[in-house]
This record gives sequence, C-alpha cells and structure tokens, in this order.
Amino acid sequence: MARKPDLLPGTLDMLILQTLTRGAIHGYGIAAAIKRASDDVLTVEEGSLYPALQRLLLQGWVKAEWKMTGTNRRARFYTLTAAGRKQLGLEVSEFEQMIAAITRVLADA
Amino acid sequence: MNRLTRFFRRLVFLVRRDQASRDIEEEMAFHRAQTERDLTAEGMPPREARQAAVRQFGNEARLRDQSRDAWGWQPVEHLLQDVGFGLRTMLRRSPMLTLVAVLSLALGIGANTAIFSLLDVILLRSLPVAAPQQLVVFGKGLWAGSTDGMPNRSWQLFSYPWYRQFAQKTDIFSGVTAVDSIEFGTHGTFAAGPRQLVRADLVSGSFFSVLGVQSILGRTLNENDDRAPGAGLVAVASYAWWTRQGRDPSVLGKTLRIENANYTLIGIAPPGFFGVTVGQAPDFWIPLSMEKDVSPGWNGLEDPDFQSLYLIARLRPGIAIAQAGAATNTLFRQIVRTQYLGANPTPKDLEKIQHAQIDLMPGARGLSQLRLEMSLPLEILMTVVGLVLLIACANIANLLLARGAARAREIAVRMALGASRSRIVTQLLTESALLAMAGAALGLALAWKAGDLFLRLASGQNGPLPISATPDLRVLLFTLGITLATALLFGLAPALRATRPSLAPSLKEGRGFASASARNRLGRGLIVTQIALSLVLLAGAGLFVRSLVKISSVDMGFDPRNVLTFFLDEYGAGLPQDARLNQLQQAIEDRVQALPGVRAASFSMFTFNQGEWSDSLTMDGIPRTPQNSQDVLYNVVGTQFFSTFGIPLVAGRVFSLHDGPHAPAVAIVNETLARRFFPNGSAIGHRFGLGNDPAHVSDFTIVGVARDAKYVSLAETPHMAAYFPWQQRVQYFSNLNVRYSGDPASITAAVRKAIDQINPGVMVSNVASLEEQVDASIGSQQLIAQLSALFSLLATFLVCIGLYGLMSYAVARRTSEIGVRMALGAGRAAVQWMVLREILFLAALGLAIGIPVALLGLNLVAKLEDPHLIARILFGVSPNDPFALAAAALLMLTVAAFAGYFPARRASRIDPIIALRDE
Repeated sequence: MARKPDLLPGTLDMLILQTLTRGAIHGYGIAAAIKRASDDVLTVEEGSLYPALQRLLLQGWVKAEWKMTGTNRRARFYTLTAAGRKQLGLEVSEFEQMIAAITRVLADA
Repeated sequence: MNRLTRFFRRLVFLVRRDQASRDIEEEMAFHRAQTERDLTAEGMPPREARQAAVRQFGNEARLRDQSRDAWGWQPVEHLLQDVGFGLRTMLRRSPMLTLVAVLSLALGIGANTAIFSLLDVILLRSLPVAAPQQLVVFGKGLWAGSTDGMPNRSWQLFSYPWYRQFAQKTDIFSGVTAVDSIEFGTHGTFAAGPRQLVRADLVSGSFFSVLGVQSILGRTLNENDDRAPGAGLVAVASYAWWTRQGRDPSVLGKTLRIENANYTLIGIAPPGFFGVTVGQAPDFWIPLSMEKDVSPGWNGLEDPDFQSLYLIARLRPGIAIAQAGAATNTLFRQIVRTQYLGANPTPKDLEKIQHAQIDLMPGARGLSQLRLEMSLPLEILMTVVGLVLLIACANIANLLLARGAARAREIAVRMALGASRSRIVTQLLTESALLAMAGAALGLALAWKAGDLFLRLASGQNGPLPISATPDLRVLLFTLGITLATALLFGLAPALRATRPSLAPSLKEGRGFASASARNRLGRGLIVTQIALSLVLLAGAGLFVRSLVKISSVDMGFDPRNVLTFFLDEYGAGLPQDARLNQLQQAIEDRVQALPGVRAASFSMFTFNQGEWSDSLTMDGIPRTPQNSQDVLYNVVGTQFFSTFGIPLVAGRVFSLHDGPHAPAVAIVNETLARRFFPNGSAIGHRFGLGNDPAHVSDFTIVGVARDAKYVSLAETPHMAAYFPWQQRVQYFSNLNVRYSGDPASITAAVRKAIDQINPGVMVSNVASLEEQVDASIGSQQLIAQLSALFSLLATFLVCIGLYGLMSYAVARRTSEIGVRMALGAGRAAVQWMVLREILFLAALGLAIGIPVALLGLNLVAKLEDPHLIARILFGVSPNDPFALAAAALLMLTVAAFAGYFPARRASRIDPIIALRDE
C-alpha cells in the first residue's frame, strides 16, 4: 500500500476542529476542506477521518446530526461544541509552541 | 464531571451501538459515493472512479473497527462475540460433548459446593457476634455435663465460683461469661398455652454484653439477673422462637413457665444468633442464677466442686492469647491448690496437680461437639470431592483437546486471516468458562438439595441439626472461585495447544496430523492421572466401607432389635426427688410391663451412646492394679433392664423388687470388671465403693455378673461397667426402654397413653428404636463410607468416559494404519488386542502411580490426625489394607477394559478396502 505524506501525529484532530469553525460540515466536506486549504500537501488517508471523528464525539468536542445536503442526500453533519472550541484553542497554542521550538532548532543547525 | 459525562456518552454508545455502527457505515458509504461523483465529474471513467474512491478511502473494514473501538468497548464486544460464538459451537457443533462436560462439571461442582457449605457452617464460620476474633474459650469444649474431679490435666469444665474468680481478671479480659455445657431440653408453657418442648441455655448475666449482642426487642440479660440464686426470673428468646410465635411484639412481658418457676420474657435476640455452640439452637437464654429451678439436681452456684460450665472471655485489646493463657493458668493453679490441697500441700500433692491447666483457645467460631466429631469426616469428604472435580476437569480437558484437534483447521484459517493468538486463546477460554458456568449453575441447584440431604445423613438421632446448609454468599463465592479455576484448568492447555503457531501443516493436512502425537501424549498423561486419582478414591472408599461393615457387625453385647426407647421429661410431674418419685416410676414400669405385646420394660440412666457417668471404684480387700484402676462406667436401671436389652447374665441374679430403698445396696458388674478384679475367682458377694474413699469401700454388694456390652460407642475397647437398681438411687429418668413383639406403632401409642394416665405431667418428647440409636452413633462413619463410595464410583465413571473418548479418537485416527495391517494379514483378534493392550497399558501405568500415592496419602492422614478419630473412621482396618487396594485396582482394570472394549471392537471391524480407499 503506497504511503502518503505523513501528517504530524496528533494534528488530525486539530485540523478537523479548525475546519469545523466554519460551521456544520459532513465528513467528506471536512476531508475536502483540509485538502483544499493545504493545497493538497496534507493529504490524509481519507477514511482515517472517521475514527478521529468518533474520538472527538466521545470527548464531547463535536456533535453529529443527520441532515440533507444541497443535492438532497442524507449526510452526517458535524458541528463544534463550546468544549471543542476551547480544546481547539489549547491545541493550536500547544502546536504553535512546538513549531516555534522546532523552527529554533532547525535555525541553529 | 467531565469524566462522568464522557462515561455517560460511552454508555449511550454501548446501548445504541448497532445504530452507531450503521451510522458510521452509512457516512463512509456517502463519503465514497461523493468522491466517486466528484471524480466522474472531473471526467474519470466510472469504473476507475469507483476504484480510485475505494483506494483513497483506505481499508474500510479496519477503519470501521477503529471508529467503533474509539469508544473503548472493544473487550466487551469481543466477549459478547466470543460468548455468542461459543454458545453456537457448543450447542450446534458438539452437543454431546457439551452435555457430557456440563453434567460432569455439575456433579463435580455441586458436590464441592454441598460439602463446602457443610464445612463452612460447621468448621469455618465465625459466630455472629461483635469482633469474634477477640473471644477465647477456656479449654477445647471436649466435655459436656458435670464433673467433680480434681483438675490434673487439660481441663474443660469449670464451676460457678471459679467463673467469678476468672471474671475478676479485668486486666486481661474485658469480660468473661459462663454457659452451662448442657443445653437443657425440658417442657414448659408460654403465656398459659400448651406444654411444649423448650430448649434453654443457662448463661451468666454477662453473656450478651461479653458477646456484644444486642436485643432487637426489649433488653438482654445483665449482671443483676445473675446476682443471687433464684434471682433471675427472666428469659430472652431466640429470633427463631419469636418467628414461630408470628413475631408478635406483645410477647414481651408474658410468662414462660418451666417446672415451677415463672420467667418473664424480657427480650428477643437478633436474627441468626444461636449462642456459642454451633449445632445447637436454644429457644431461650435464662440466667445461671436459675440453674436449680431449671434442672433440679444441678446446683452449682455455690459449689466450687460442681464443674459444669464452659467459660468464654473477651480479650482486652492488645492482649495476646499467650499472655492471657499464662495469666489464666497462674490463677487456675492457685484456685486448684487452695481448693484441693489446703494450706500446706506436700510435694506429692503438688505433683498430682502439676498437669492441671487450661488451654486458652481462639473462640471466634464458638464451641461445638459437632465440630469435634465432624471435622475429620468433612475434611476427608472435601478432599474426595476436590479430587472428583480434578478428574472431571482432566476429562473435559481431554475432550477439548480432541475437539481442538478437530477444529485445528478452523483455527488455522482464522489465524492466517490475522486473528491474534491471544484473541483465539481468549475465545477458547470463553468457551471453557461458559461450560464451567453452565456446570456451576446446575451444580448449585444440585447442592441446594444435596446440602440438606448430607446434613440429614450427618445428623444424629435428634433429627436434623438446627443449622442451615443452604448455600449463602460465601458459598456462592467459593463456587464462583472453583468454577473459574476449573475453566482455566481444563481450558488453558487445550487452548494453547490448539493455537500453537505451527499452522502450516494443519492447513495442508486438514486433520491435524502433525500435532496428533503430541496431543495424544498430553491426553494419555491426563488419562493416566485420572486413573491414578480415581484409584486413590476407590481405595479410600474401600477402606471406609470395610470399616463401616466391620463396625456394624461388631458384637454389641445387647440385642437392639424390637426395643423402643421413650425419651421423657419427668420434671413435669412436679415431684421432689424422694420416695414419691420412686412410686411414680414404679407405677409407670408396672403398667407398661403389663401392656399386651410388651415383653420387658425398664428405665435406664443411659441406653447406648448417650454419654457416661464414670468414676473409679475401690473393691473391698482387693489392691489396686493398673488394670483395675481405670474408670468404671455406671448405669442406673430397672429390674427388667437385662431382659429388655437382651444382655445375658453369666453369674448371680438380676435385680428384683426386694432390692428396695431399705434393702442392702446391690450392684451388677460386667465380665471385664469381674475379670480385672477377680481373675481367678467369682465376683459375687464382694463389696465395693465409688471413688477412692476408704470409708465407703463396702457400700455395694455384687449380686450378679452380666456379659460385656457396648456402652458409649461401637468402636470402644472393653470397659469395666457396673449397674445399680433405680429403687436404691432416686433420680429423674429420661429413658424408658421397652422390648416388644408385634407392631411398634400400637405399642408406642399404648405406652404413651399409659404414662399419660398415670401422670399427665410426664411428657414423652420422642420415641426411637434402639437400632436407630445404634445407627446414629455411627452417623459420621456412614456419611463418609456412603459419600466416598458414591463419589469414587462417580470418579470411576468419569474415567470410563474419558478412556472411551480417548480410545475412540485414537482408533478413528489410525483407521488407515489398521486397514494396512489387516490388508497385510492381521486378524481381528490381533487388532482388538492391539487396542486393548494400549488401554491396559495406560491403566497399569495409572495403577502403578495410584497405588503408592494412595498408600502414602492414607498413611499420612492416619499419622497426622488424632488416633482416636482415626480409630473410629478406620475401625479394624489398616490404611494398608490389601483387600481394599486389590479391590480398587481390580475394579479400575475391569472398568478400563470395559471402556476399551467398544473402540477395540470397532477397530477390529474396520474394512481394509474402505479404510485404504479413504486414504
């Protein structure tokens, strides 16, 4: 099985949460948005989105609801909860700290 | 909070996990459909678009599992799957195996549970009192009744004045209580109702406070109730008695009348409280201050010589039992010395009491004659049923091994498809656990019934023991424990074997050829073990049965057939202990003797196995020898006693009505006594006295010599004994013995009626034949012999099934080999012998291991345990009894040959053509 460029571990949850700040989106939409926003650099094994979504549901960071799409098909839409928004802030700041640290190390080398 | 809501969400998921799975599936399908649509819209051909969508999405099955597993219910889901799968395999694919396994487990677990619940209630359970581990008992509770002997060894009974002295040791004990060693069975009336049997324990005023037991209604006894003789006209009732009265709260303050005293009911004890003696269930507790009123003749409140009490104390916190023991013994020696030796004892006097001591024993489990009697039998039976369960486990392990081989292909396929070994082992163990639980459920149902049955078997002549052998929580935990242990025991080896990572050959062969020989080695090992274990059981059971046969056929010296004993309570007649009582007894004997169908009738102090009155005896003019210094067993009887009991007289005469209260005191002795005192002459006409008092050596004149009989137990060695006529010793009797011909029921009715007509106050509480009394005396021997025989036969049957299964499997596997042999000219007989030879080899191996193990085990038990107990249980047989061993070995070989016969016959009927074509 050909491996795609790796996502930084632990970042998938953050990307999903970030994507959902724009409103209710279904799984396919989330995958497409991440792909689009990163200019296809961050390609995920698309299906791995779903275990991640279940984890977020368990944590109570997102909510899911079946709705009709614009093309009149049933899809499961996810929305961010208040707890999810807080978690996103936390993860983003942690991520930024880490990136800053990595950047410093790389600059030193 | 957060954790709680998360847990709640997980629960919701678990409840609607089917819906959740469908949701995940649907959104994944939507995702792929959407990808496919977009790709098609970009101009990709539909087929490629579909493939690309699947590729981009990833391994859907795995992702679906991961999505579900995110919720953390994976172990539970696996368990549910395993259970479902296990049930399907067990019920559909191998129902016979399942049935055999469940039934043998049910028997094994049921037997263990039943015996354990008896063991628990009699041997293990603590008294339902506060902090029972702080309680200590003075002595081991070995004796019951009363004695006036001078303590000169480990002492068991204590007088009331001594109790008061021990109670003052408040630096060691936070409290001391005294309980009469006899549970008084008497008759009384409550609230002017009908006369009923009343069982009462006489206890010190400190009884309830020392035990830390509070009444649930009213108050308990206190020191004021026990202050002076006759002061405590109060009674506390047991919860069981109160329940029989309909739990009416208004019973408090009402009157319980026993003999001529009226007791006010002041309180009800809590449920489950039965006092301190396991196996007894008194209805009332009455202060010791009323001893004389409850039981005329018992008058020990001010008499330091009258030793009839058990003492129980509560240790002060921080005091060790050894420390308390030392202090107790110091005081005890002081008491004994002051009381028996006077101010200036000689060194010789001191020597007499140097062995006087009190063994302070832990008292958490209370006192129990029952425990003393039943502990060895119960321990033996527990071992027996434990071995039976082991055999059942080995059997099931063997069956599972065979099935594991049959399922080798299925397991190999699953492992090739990526199932981990631990996952499959877990699944196989789940099946074992299911088997075990089904067996346990059935076993518990069995135990529920069997517990009571065993209890009845173990109970003596006084009817079922008042203890509950119904499994309780502790017993259920025990059962759960052994169930899981057995599941592991019989499941683990087959599971590990079945999943051994050599799967390639299994896949290729499909029949598990490669592992077959190894499997068989384990299987044979199990069978050999089973044979050895069940030989041990058979040999043990053989010994017990032989011992029972021997003890039952022992010469009793009396004829127990056609004799009824009426147990009566003469106190109710309200007569004092003088000539008036004698007249009543004479009237009863005369009237009963005259009844049609009655051949002889007599009161007696004892019948058989009822206890003893023993003391030494001094014969006028005959010096003491070691042989004649032993204690003599005394009995007080009527003129027709010897004809009633069928004890022949060998010299002299029996008692007659001329031996009245004013005639010279006479006695009849037994042959052993006559021989020990007069080895060369006749005993008739000689005089003796009780005890050692030189002033009384000519109190009684011997007028007759009777044949020896058994007095206390069938296993006893010959004892010296002497009988006195009751006309010359006024006392209350509780046994009236009647030798009859004809129908015992009509005799019973006629005797009851006669007694009632003479004095309606005399209550007949129970009637038992002398044969029943003899039987009851060997109740524990019967229990061991019957149950060990039953269980060892059960074990042998299990081995039989195991052997049959193993050999059938072996024959099936060797079909083609046997076919070749037969094609090459081997005859049917030769083939049959080939199979049988193997079985006999296994059996011989089992015997070779089992016989030394049995000998070793039985000798070890005989050596470790109390020789007196062993002598009763192994009566007249040695642990090395060749007969029992030979019979066990022979039975085992026969059973093995029988189990092997059918597979052998099947092997000999194999058609070589078909067998070879099969290959």
